[in-house]
Amino acid sequence: MIDRVLETARGKVDGADALWRREEQTTVAFESGRLKAVGISEEAGVNLRVLAGGRMGVAGTAAKPDPAELVGRARASAELGEVVDLEFPRSAASTLPRIPTFFDRTANASLAELIRMGRLLVERLSRPDCQVNVAVQRELADTAVGNTAGARGEYRATGIAVTADVTRIAGDDVLMVYDQYVGADMPSEADLEAVVQSVETRLTAALNIVTPPDGALPVVFTPAGLAAVVLPLEQALSGKTVLQGSSPLAGKVGELLFDGRLSIIDDPLTPGRPASRPVDDECVPSRSTGLVERGVVGRFVYDLETAARAKTQSTGNGRRGVFGKPHIGYTNILFRMADGGGAQHAAPLHTLGGGLIDDIQDGLIVDDLIGVGQGNVISGAFSHPVGLAYRVQRGEITGRVKDAAVAGNAYDLLKRIGGFGNDGRWLGARYSPSLLLEGVSVARR
Amino acid sequence: MKDRLAAAVKQSRADYTEVRVERTWSSAVAFRGRRLETATVSEDQGGFVRVLDKGYGWGIASFTSLDELPAMVARAHELSRAVHVDDPIRLAETPPQSADAILELDGDVRGVPLAEKKKLLDRYNAAMLAVSDKIVDTQSSYRDEVSEVWYVNSEGTSLYQLRPEVVVSGTAIGRRNGNIEKGLESIGLRKGWNSVQNFEHQFRVVAQRAVDLLDAPRVRGGAYPVILDNELAGVFIHEAFGHLSEADFVYENPQAREMMTLGRRFGKPVLNVGDNGAAKGLRGTLPYDDEGTPTQDTPLIKEGILVGRLHSRETAAKLGERPTGNARAISFRHAPIVRMTNTYIAPGTKGVGFNDLISDIKLGVYACGAFGGQTMLENFSFTAGWGYMIRDGKVGELVKDVVLAGNLFQTLDRIDHIAGDFTWNQMGGGCGKGGQFPLPVTEGAPHVRIEEALIGGDV
Repeated sequence: MIDRVLETARGKVDGADALWRREEQTTVAFESGRLKAVGISEEAGVNLRVLAGGRMGVAGTAAKPDPAELVGRARASAELGEVVDLEFPRSAASTLPRIPTFFDRTANASLAELIRMGRLLVERLSRPDCQVNVAVQRELADTAVGNTAGARGEYRATGIAVTADVTRIAGDDVLMVYDQYVGADMPSEADLEAVVQSVETRLTAALNIVTPPDGALPVVFTPAGLAAVVLPLEQALSGKTVLQGSSPLAGKVGELLFDGRLSIIDDPLTPGRPASRPVDDECVPSRSTGLVERGVVGRFVYDLETAARAKTQSTGNGRRGVFGKPHIGYTNILFRMADGGGAQHAAPLHTLGGGLIDDIQDGLIVDDLIGVGQGNVISGAFSHPVGLAYRVQRGEITGRVKDAAVAGNAYDLLKRIGGFGNDGRWLGARYSPSLLLEGVSVARR
Repeated sequence: MKDRLAAAVKQSRADYTEVRVERTWSSAVAFRGRRLETATVSEDQGGFVRVLDKGYGWGIASFTSLDELPAMVARAHELSRAVHVDDPIRLAETPPQSADAILELDGDVRGVPLAEKKKLLDRYNAAMLAVSDKIVDTQSSYRDEVSEVWYVNSEGTSLYQLRPEVVVSGTAIGRRNGNIEKGLESIGLRKGWNSVQNFEHQFRVVAQRAVDLLDAPRVRGGAYPVILDNELAGVFIHEAFGHLSEADFVYENPQAREMMTLGRRFGKPVLNVGDNGAAKGLRGTLPYDDEGTPTQDTPLIKEGILVGRLHSRETAAKLGERPTGNARAISFRHAPIVRMTNTYIAPGTKGVGFNDLISDIKLGVYACGAFGGQTMLENFSFTAGWGYMIRDGKVGELVKDVVLAGNLFQTLDRIDHIAGDFTWNQMGGGCGKGGQFPLPVTEGAPHVRIEEALIGGDV
């Protein structure tokens, strides 16, 4: 498919690259504890980018592609396109890293097996006063990328997500607790049990409602609760925002801006993660990139276009869909304590706070904030009401707090990290432990 | 095409079968700073099949290869038979519909050269950049589409709908040293090319605001009397209340049903709220929803009392109520679920304006515009685009980082005054739920006063 499209483009344009992807999803949905729907989805498409007269154009289609029509549309797009000095990578196939992305067990799992896993979670999580929703989604994807410089890349991938959410309504009090398993390989019974334990632990600790504290306090952000703190960094470490002049980290490579123990990497080579891949969507071989190393700003992530404009190399972070042009995307992003430390040891399933609460006289554990991603994210400032948070008093969790908001600035807070939790885990494509941050502003009504 | 769908439905052996096929023509232009990012034309197409057998669950299939339609009907039936349910799924009765519903194109975007669209967006983008040298970055985008939707089900409904849409939006980023602020304009209409021609002024205004915010102090956190402007009030009612009125939240959940019992008092008698998918010419407007049910104006809160909710055919049957035409899907890739259309707070007393709302406020906050909003059921958070302090009955200084947080029930009950200055806010973007984003919706409201609400920020 790719070859036919690129062959058609050759001679008509100065250069081209293309991505073909076919995806098949099977979804099993349990609503309020009962199996309600089973669905499949099949989708295939081609995305083509051309360079013509030094300008870039793109075209995509989800229909059976007519190569001549697709090339014609991409050329029309290039006539309006901006000038870019883009160079496609050569012959990547021989140098692609070998990493497992396709797991037979996931690909061959029967519908009955997917239903069985869902039912197991429903049964384990059912309580008389709670509603349980569970979804199991299995994905198979075939990807082929190539360009007119001769590079080709192909791989098959599997992915499976098992998500459980429990809602408990008592009067006007609504409590929602959620967790998931996401992987390229099927979950083990222990993986499913971990989801159950995680939901139950947080639910049980939430039953008692206590008054929120007030003031500048120590706060443990769980891996789920960290989103508001790490989102500004993810935006600022993108080569795109750096190029635009809107990243606060622009020009700071080599400077110590964060706690000296903090390292952040983008790693497409972690085995068993659905975002791992041997090659990116622009045919650049995958490799890991040190974004922050021991608190020092390392590299930014780039795709081909932004790399060309910034006069640097792509880091293999090109991502593209069927429509639109390629853009920068992280693969797996890992927040770690340099040299490993406590993050290597899985915490017992029944604890919350990653072993960081013992010395807290009065503070919070934040597991979910409402409205993350709104507002002026890139500045690092955040201010959100809590979705799910617990009060910690004299080293003990005393209950759930409501009607409280936390605020701070990610750049200030990450300068000195009070502690890295022993509960490092994956949440989708992000890995992190809990972090204890000091002096977080907590307001109550 | 309708015949092809009808033939596929007819050969289905399931008790209920529906087929939806969509073909969407769209074009998009984007600028980042002075640089053009993209200018593309796309065609997307695909089909969706959903079947139901008595005593079984839903079997669903979506696909891009339309040749597969008959095979996908059979496949969906197989999937349905894999799901046994004790409590059978029923669909509320709706009379079969047969119609061609063509919305006004107002300048068919398919006939306008891409170069013209680039020129238009270039103008708006340049208007923002020209405001100040402190505007260091912009993100501007133009997107249009014309979507054709065919829908046939086994109860005799057969529909063809033509739905246009056009969205122009821009973000201006102001920067001085490490300080970064933004201003956001977004215009989204269920119309065409003619309707997006004269908005330079609006884009200039938001860029100027981004510059002004560089000098503005952060609002001091705490509880204040708060006035919401029309836009934020609209986003508020959509996020904080609208989602709770979607019946799929309550229909399988006795505790939620109790919380949302019709007849419960939700606010003072000044408060009237509804959802109107049949309102003329708005972005959330549709003649029929994605189950073929005609849309309508559905009152949700009348004089402070909960009087209605939004339904699909399944949720309506379960609760013994009537379908309201709110089953919507963002594309053929998804099943229809209960969604809002054009959600509104009805205007208060005619002639009552903004000044009447603030005259007796000693210290308060006027929260304007919306960068976003999220609810977790009873709790919500809204980020205003900007705000002003209200001091001694007058609008005072500009403030930034105005985040409104609170509890839905308490906040609705504290709405004590509603102005008569109602407007629909025709914004781009859209609503997200169950992995389906962005769904075109509209919100409308007058200025609204909340006696006391929590504003986040430095404490």
